[in-house]
Amino acid sequence: MRKDELTDMIEQSLGAAPEFRLQEGFAQRVTASVIRQEQWKTDLQEYFYLTAIVFGLIALLTGVYYLVDKDLLFRTLNFFVANWVVVGFLVLTLNFILFADKVLLRLLFSRRRQTN
Amino acid sequence: MNDTELINQILEGNMNAFTFLVNRYQKLVVHITGRLVQRQEELEDVCQEVFIKVYQNLGKYRNECKLSTWIATIAYNTSINYLRKFKKFEEVNPEDSVALRNLTDFRNENYETADLKRYVREQIELLPIQYRTVVTLFHLEEFSYQEIEQITGMPEGTVKSYLFRAKALLREKLKHIVDDNSLKLVKEISNEKG
Repeated sequence: MRKDELTDMIEQSLGAAPEFRLQEGFAQRVTASVIRQEQWKTDLQEYFYLTAIVFGLIALLTGVYYLVDKDLLFRTLNFFVANWVVVGFLVLTLNFILFADKVLLRLLFSRRRQTN
Repeated sequence: MNDTELINQILEGNMNAFTFLVNRYQKLVVHITGRLVQRQEELEDVCQEVFIKVYQNLGKYRNECKLSTWIATIAYNTSINYLRKFKKFEEVNPEDSVALRNLTDFRNENYETADLKRYVREQIELLPIQYRTVVTLFHLEEFSYQEIEQITGMPEGTVKSYLFRAKALLREKLKHIVDDNSLKLVKEISNEKG
């Protein structure tokens, strides 16, 4: 082989695409993945907003009762303190149900849909 | 649909437009990540990461450069980070004995043109990573020196120098095809090292 032929071949090879390929439907898979990620972010945001609203309402209610009926408020607080294990368990359970409803289940279902 | 319209559509939440964008630029991303990562089984994950980053940062794209340059920059950075993260930043020194052995594996006497082209492509894949990057961007994707500078952060002079050296290196590696005596010499060196 002559030198100029070799140079031509090198030039041609430099401009040739490498032999790497993506599987069919790559764009659809990426889009589905992006949609799932965005959905997950929105769901998580929604969950945090709802939790904040619930705790905000509780705080507001506490403030109102502090002005209207201090005795009832302190009795209620004493009850919570005395039964903190049960109350804590209840709060955590309700919070988890909200989290599962707003975030976890939606994520699981969307993953399952994509797998099917 | 041009790139600006496409971006506006995506920012308005049209996911079909995003699928269209992925289809339009997937070859560019595959060429860059493929040449850098060089692992077919990990290629899809890296490419997916690139396009997810493209989607997440599309709002920050300011038309200061072509969309292809911007996407190529993300593809380059993602591939380099991937290689660093998984400690796969292996560089092939063309002077080492393995490279020499690769050179002598070739049968000079009975080659077909197709084999030879394949062989040259294999040699390109063995080039050091910086050379592979500039060669891919310049020859395959036809980016200008300035665009390659934007993508890789390498100064224009370095890009030109790497391009020159990459070709010189390839010519050096393939010299035995032109010159039989060189092949004999390489075989002798290889035998001495072996």
